[in-house]
Amino acid sequence: MTPSPHAGVGLKPQHYAEALAAPAHGLWFEVHAENYMAAGGPRLAWLDAIARDKPISLHGVGLSLAADEPPDAGHLAALRRLVDRYRPMLVSEHLAWSMRQGVYVPDLLPFPRTRAALSRIADNVARMQDAVGRQVLIENPSLYLPLDGHEMGEVEFLAELARRTGCGLLVDVNNIFVSANNLGRSAEAYVDAVPAALVGEIHLAGHDADERMGRALLIDTHAAPVAEPVWALYGRLIRRIGPRPTLIERDGEIPAFPELLAEAERAEGMLRAAERAREALLDA
Amino acid sequence: MPEAAPAFHDAFAAALAGDASALAAGWGSGADLDAGLTVYRNTIAKGCADALTAQFPTVEKLVGEAWLAAAAIAFAKDHPPRQASLLTYGQEFPDWLAAFPPAADLPHLPAIARLDLMWTDAHLAADAEPLPAGAFAALGPDDLGRLTAELHPATRFARFDLTLPALWRALQAEAAPEAFELDETPQGLLMTRPRLDIEHRVIGPGACAFLAALTDRRALADAAGLALAAEPDLALDTAFAELIALGAFGRLIPAAPNRDQP
Repeated sequence: MTPSPHAGVGLKPQHYAEALAAPAHGLWFEVHAENYMAAGGPRLAWLDAIARDKPISLHGVGLSLAADEPPDAGHLAALRRLVDRYRPMLVSEHLAWSMRQGVYVPDLLPFPRTRAALSRIADNVARMQDAVGRQVLIENPSLYLPLDGHEMGEVEFLAELARRTGCGLLVDVNNIFVSANNLGRSAEAYVDAVPAALVGEIHLAGHDADERMGRALLIDTHAAPVAEPVWALYGRLIRRIGPRPTLIERDGEIPAFPELLAEAERAEGMLRAAERAREALLDA
Repeated sequence: MPEAAPAFHDAFAAALAGDASALAAGWGSGADLDAGLTVYRNTIAKGCADALTAQFPTVEKLVGEAWLAAAAIAFAKDHPPRQASLLTYGQEFPDWLAAFPPAADLPHLPAIARLDLMWTDAHLAADAEPLPAGAFAALGPDDLGRLTAELHPATRFARFDLTLPALWRALQAEAAPEAFELDETPQGLLMTRPRLDIEHRVIGPGACAFLAALTDRRALADAAGLALAAEPDLALDTAFAELIALGAFGRLIPAAPNRDQP
């Protein structure tokens, strides 16, 4: 299935019935792969039903591609079973680590972007793509602390990872905004530098200010609506690169389904505007 | 420096565990680092606690949200997740609770936690068609000594010396009971999921013995004999019909060879 450049919504169990009943034109859903790694039961049955007329994207949060060890073989096998079952339009993971020496931490941890790290992560991305039998997209992380020892910028690192492995990029605009804020960088410069040809998907989500540090330290909570500066960055990105499948992510303080759909409709409107603008330029 | 990367992961793990100076050997230091580490620590603690509390809704009804959240954070320190899918996180929680000092005056909490885990286990089990009604009645006398019934992949049961199964079931209601007297009457709890919804029933010692015999692939006739031995006045036909109607069984298959005879 060719990824359709429409807006989608992160699928939550409390919205299954509404997601199934929603009109299909363009709407798609993304799930965290780890939440469907079960032998059977209602979750899988709901996703079977929803996947019959809406595209599904499988988004991994725990493969730990940036660990100093290969991804867990059992996890890769479980991911392959989900890919075979749901035929997703997109499969993605993070540029981060979370599992090491048999212990998993439910977070996306940072690392120094060294040449050695690039080689190791490229091997792990290749293992993932071999296991699922297709291209995957790799997502830029939210960063919360200034690490020393980087040898490459993040965009340069991701572009080189894509060159070596053939993977694409999942550009999380909220993560760009949060990281730039926390580390004192320019979010606009990052958005302008992402190589258009590599971008296969875009994420939009909400963030919150740290309880102690305030807005000096923003946290990628996915527990709030998409913030206005993030919408502005998103517009800037798609005006340059053109429309891409765009997801509204929400994992905390989950609102009623229509509220998420309203955010998806706003993204959809911006995608169509970006498309019209590009067509007009090409016709001129 | 190709060997630096593995060392970084060790240092970061140590920093997360509380030793921020572990990152000073080339990866950073200072107040911004500490504030950032706190964000990671909080996210990890919350992620573990949320995953655990989601597994134990009946325990939460007994002890409240704040008590369980505090217990979950303490549990996660002793038993961090071992895999990225947290759907089955907390298998050690019932045993851990039994040794958790604040739970010392709640002696039945581990059993209630065990029944919550049984629910998740049935919820995530493989799907299969349940054995249809009347399947036992259609069998000939020879079949009863030759065949057994597989338990449905989602069937789980446990036996207790107290009426804990009735308590667990009462707590599933929207309005949980204010007070509940436990009797010293042996009781079992059977859960299964013939299709999408979990069914659960209190069962007697006879039904428990029958299900245990089928778990060992004993022939239906042997299993029935063991059920009657455990509960002499059990109405076998009614008990079997109820178990079939509930969807407790899968296919009929050959019994394991009888180990009592040469």
